[in-house]
Amino acid sequence: MTEETNPPMTRERMRADIARALRMDPEEVGGDDDLNDLGLDSMRAMSMVLRWTERGLQLDFGELAEKLTLDAWWAVAERAMAKRVHG
Amino acid sequence: MADSVDVAPELPLTEAQEGLWYAQRLDPGNPVFNTGQYIEFRGPLDVAAFREAVNGAVTEADSLALRIRPVPGGAVQRLDPTLRPWLDVVDLSAEPDPLIAARAAMARDMAQPMDPACGGLATERLYRLSPDHHLWYQRAHHLVLDGYGTELIVRRVASLYNAGLTGADPGQPLAPFGAAVEEDATYRASPRRKADAAYWRKLMASAPDITGIAEGAALGAAMTARTAHRAHAAIDAATGEALRHTAAMHDLAWPDLLTILLGAYCRRLTGEAEAIIGVTFMNRFGSAAARTPSTLMNVLPLRVRMDEEAPLHEAVEEAVTQLARMRRHGRYRGEQLRRDLGRLGAGRRLHGAIVNIQPFHEIPSFPGLTAKLHLLGTGPVDDITFDLRTDPGAATLRLDVEANPNLYSAEEAAAHAMRAAHFVSAALATGRFAAVPTATPAEAQRLVEAVNDTAHPVPDTTLAALIGAEMAARPDATAIRFEGRSLSYRVLDERSAALAAVLAGRHIGTGDLVAVSLERSPELVIALLGIMRAGAAYLPLDPAHPEDRLARILASAKPRLALAQVALPGEVEILPPSSWPSRGSAPVGPRPEDAAYAIYTSGSTGEPKGAVITHRAIVNRLKWMRQHYGFAAKDRILQKTPATFDVSVWEFFLPLLAGATLVLAPPGAHRDPAAIARLIREEGITTAHFVPSMLAAFLAHPDARGLAMARVFCSGEELTPDLRDRFHAMMKAELHNLYGPTEAAVDVSYWDASEGDRSRPVPIGRPVWNTRLYVLDDALRPVPPGVTGHLFIAGTQLAREYLGRPDLTARAFIPDPFRPGERMYRTGDLARFRNDGAILYLGRSDGQVKLRGFRIELGEIEAAIASSPMVCQNRVVAREDRPGDKRLVAYLVPAPGYDAAALRAHVAARVPDYMVPVAFVALDALPVNTSGKLDRAALPAPEMGQGRGRSPETETERRLAALFAEVLDLPEVSAEEDFFGLGGHSLLALDLMLRVRESFGRDPGLGALFENPTVARLATLIDAAALPPSDNGLCPLISLARGEESRAPLFVVHPAGGLAWNYGNLARALSPERGVLGLQAPSLDADAPPPASLDALAADYADRVIAAGHPGPIHLAGWSVGGIIAHAMAVRLRELGHAVGALALLDSYPADAWRAEPEPDAATIYRALLTIAGHDPAQCPDLPMERGAVMAFLRQGGTPLGRLPEAVLDGVVRVVEGNNRLIRGHRHRRFDGTVTHFRAAHDHAGRALSPAMWAPYAAGLEVVDVPALHGEMMSGVATGVIAPALRRLMASHPGSAGHLVSLS
Repeated sequence: MTEETNPPMTRERMRADIARALRMDPEEVGGDDDLNDLGLDSMRAMSMVLRWTERGLQLDFGELAEKLTLDAWWAVAERAMAKRVHG
Repeated sequence: MADSVDVAPELPLTEAQEGLWYAQRLDPGNPVFNTGQYIEFRGPLDVAAFREAVNGAVTEADSLALRIRPVPGGAVQRLDPTLRPWLDVVDLSAEPDPLIAARAAMARDMAQPMDPACGGLATERLYRLSPDHHLWYQRAHHLVLDGYGTELIVRRVASLYNAGLTGADPGQPLAPFGAAVEEDATYRASPRRKADAAYWRKLMASAPDITGIAEGAALGAAMTARTAHRAHAAIDAATGEALRHTAAMHDLAWPDLLTILLGAYCRRLTGEAEAIIGVTFMNRFGSAAARTPSTLMNVLPLRVRMDEEAPLHEAVEEAVTQLARMRRHGRYRGEQLRRDLGRLGAGRRLHGAIVNIQPFHEIPSFPGLTAKLHLLGTGPVDDITFDLRTDPGAATLRLDVEANPNLYSAEEAAAHAMRAAHFVSAALATGRFAAVPTATPAEAQRLVEAVNDTAHPVPDTTLAALIGAEMAARPDATAIRFEGRSLSYRVLDERSAALAAVLAGRHIGTGDLVAVSLERSPELVIALLGIMRAGAAYLPLDPAHPEDRLARILASAKPRLALAQVALPGEVEILPPSSWPSRGSAPVGPRPEDAAYAIYTSGSTGEPKGAVITHRAIVNRLKWMRQHYGFAAKDRILQKTPATFDVSVWEFFLPLLAGATLVLAPPGAHRDPAAIARLIREEGITTAHFVPSMLAAFLAHPDARGLAMARVFCSGEELTPDLRDRFHAMMKAELHNLYGPTEAAVDVSYWDASEGDRSRPVPIGRPVWNTRLYVLDDALRPVPPGVTGHLFIAGTQLAREYLGRPDLTARAFIPDPFRPGERMYRTGDLARFRNDGAILYLGRSDGQVKLRGFRIELGEIEAAIASSPMVCQNRVVAREDRPGDKRLVAYLVPAPGYDAAALRAHVAARVPDYMVPVAFVALDALPVNTSGKLDRAALPAPEMGQGRGRSPETETERRLAALFAEVLDLPEVSAEEDFFGLGGHSLLALDLMLRVRESFGRDPGLGALFENPTVARLATLIDAAALPPSDNGLCPLISLARGEESRAPLFVVHPAGGLAWNYGNLARALSPERGVLGLQAPSLDADAPPPASLDALAADYADRVIAAGHPGPIHLAGWSVGGIIAHAMAVRLRELGHAVGALALLDSYPADAWRAEPEPDAATIYRALLTIAGHDPAQCPDLPMERGAVMAFLRQGGTPLGRLPEAVLDGVVRVVEGNNRLIRGHRHRRFDGTVTHFRAAHDHAGRALSPAMWAPYAAGLEVVDVPALHGEMMSGVATGVIAPALRRLMASHPGSAGHLVSLS
């Protein structure tokens, strides 16, 4: 399913993926906006996280589910990427 | 996390926990609430590091160390750090088979029920099997952990283990338990919860009731099972790929698509337009509790209703929308929604099967190890659960099925797993649900081919030739016995040949029909045989049928001649037996493909239709029967079925085919059990046939007891397991259940229901020779075992056609899709395969009903009614207001000039008597439901008793009928009507018996009325020289219904008033299988000393029960106060070493509930007395609540209670008072068996009464909800729920062979 070679995740890329799932423009997704309020439900989120996993970024869904903001998610992603590099 | 605090705060339970806590309280001994799994590690595990990791996670996972204790109104929980389940390492490497030892240890642990108040709700254990093989076992009560919570812990342990070994970042700790409780409280108080509630109520407002995919699902689900069957199936990589691809193409989430695919599978199995499945919702997204190990999972309903013809992505659209909305409103608890909707109690569930998709199910990596998950239990399974687990990267999906063993066999659970996986694959591959058969190709192959592998050589000949050979071979043997006279085969040969010659002389032969309308007699047999020997086919007519019907049949069949005593309607020429010659030579006779007979059956259009059966077809049937059951010349076969009913065909011809003797019952004897029993004994009958309802009537007759025959055949309607068992208790013979429509040469399937058959229900069995049976869906595809479908018949025995109706023939006999060029017959019956290939009959799919063996098209009756100008509109329904008593009732909108009696006469002139409705009910309009169909539930039950049935004949009957009518306030009562069926209840019964005593000077006793509730039967009893010992209805042990002597009866204990007559409805519902005896308060008699305590009373009753000397075990039931006494009796009986079977408490609650109430005053006692007498005290506000006034009121009011002797009334008052005192002073002891509580589900709102209050006083507690108020528990409606459940319950406690035996 992965046509592209996996480019590394960036905050802007994450923002763009979230915006696409919500049918919004990336600039409409603020760092501390509640994604639930923007219309993100668990199934859409799950699909998105599954796609990230396919691209090689494995995130703990439980950690993501705890706080639904771009900032929080990016923090989870950064920790995961750091762990992968060092662990 | 809270270990540093001395005492953790006490927290309320979350909503999710409350439901589980209540369920466990109801059934404290049930271990099914334990969830458990183990992960199998292969490779070098660092045990020390692993211990560190697990203990680290345990320190964070507060919920594993909870203690949950009951408080008034619920329960509270508190973290107790001393309860943390530190890892326990068990070395089994020295065991001979360490793996088996570990599995056994885990199974033992899982089977241990947990008391939430004691803690110890979780366990973490490592079994060491060898240095490279470990099992990590985790068990937790569902109250503290759900599946997602378990995964959180597993992942946390993996992180900590990794960190310990490699120094990697251990990541975020688990979140504290308090977060989950806090969030739950916030949600409960939020406006969002109200909005969610409104959403769900609206969605479910028009939802149908749940149809389970397993038989009996509705009732069985009331009882939580203790285990679950587990099965799994892999879904292949191609299907996983197709799933993702289809989802991506249509912008769907694949878990949603998969949920709906599995929902569509469930819908198929229910056979309904809509199925409601439960969908699990993790309830953690955007929640502070997202990383809290706890139980939050929620199950919410998804209405699955799709257009199967639409492309897949369109068909699922509506359900996808529902799922999206479910996620927005998913925090609302399913348990609460069920309460909101009033879907409580048996059969009122919120959803059927559950679909649980876990796309993040991933076993984290443990360095150097491979890890494999094994599930041991995931909590209670009410019905069946489809769990789908996969990890984000994996291509394969794993489908696990968990099924309630009360509803599914292990085999069925495995079949569901395999079949559901196949269904999902096929739906994705074809892109359209309609293109997917429910059965797998392997199942279809088995059900179409293997089950129907019935090919067997049969000579291609005719009945006439076979019987001709037999007659020639044994001229001197007795062919026919009739009224004590014998007819030899020689005479039969001569006379039938002579008749055939006469017919041939009239150029009647092949292709012609000859009508026969004769009473049962040797002439009838000669007629049938003579016609066949002439090459023609016979057309039997019943002279008792209305002229109009006979005329229509004759007009359509156009017989060449009629062999009859008297003229028939129309032009047909008559040849009476008196003009038959006794000598003559038979012509050549028929060919195998020629018709042997044509029998008319009821037709839905109002026009009867004649099925034409060829010789080849009936020869197959009779040859099969002869060989299969080993009929020989020594057999004597009873012929008692009218010739118009096709069962008569084998009764007539099988004996002649086997050289045996045909014994003809005298005309009319087939309805007289005594005459049949006499005939069987006197004639040495070896084989007889009974329609099941006739068999039931026959067995009820004392003369049937002890009869012995070689075999008895049943067909024509459903043979119930109870009837089978009663048969074997009463007489000695093989019992065979046959099935077949007139359109397929009598019978096409058979089942041996002889002694030892335990099938419930009794199957119709397997196909006979050269016959195929198919159970197909609407698209004519085979349905798998356990799924209801339409029954089709194919093979040699099919009828050739409906006489003169090519249109009907083409509709009913359609091409066999599995055998090109052959036909199959659409029976209109619903059926289902058992796993072993035997078929179960499940009733009619159309308006046809079976009544006492007659196949009746309601449409034919409706057409007869509609032909009267007195009626604008009508519908006929078969009502079963009392179990086993099916009656036809016509509902109609009258036109001017309507007169019920005239209409009845009109109908009786057009249809046979068994098709005349017993009641005609005039309504302003026929009630319809929203879909415009007749709303059957809204049709009123007819008022019976307007002069139906036989009139009273003897003097005693006439006088008794007058008394019945007086007491029941009816204009008249016939001889055969049931007193209780006419609305008589226990108090009226007493009134009646008092009048009987006045009128006849004899007192048969109240118990006698319960056993003989009709005028005729009671009259017989009164006329009998020796009356049974009188009971005045007040003695301490009263018989309420007689049952089979070999079965343990039910003892019912009186409620507050001390009288047990109120159990009359229940007693009659359980009779005649089970006897019911009522215990009544001895202190109704003023001379009896009042009991010192409730235990003393119970001990006295226990002694009386033992002294009665019935077979055990002892079954007990009690309503209200009676339940408390029954419980105490059960304890006492166990103390004495007696086996106790059922202990049924009918909405009674322990004494603890009453102790706190104020001491009752005299007014309370008299109010209770009024209630017992059937008055509502609130309706008598001016009545002073003191003795004189109340007694006077009761007497004036003319209530039966008021007719009791003063001393007895005083007794009732005394007993009410005394019982109150006894209960307050009673301390319950523990009963070491299971209490079954029948809860009045409509009652006790706002009161703290719960069946769970019995939990401390029994080893087990089961609850059955009854849709009634406390005061209605004895009503017919409540009895309709209670009696079947009690019957099952008692059946589950099989008795000992002998009488009560002390175990001590």
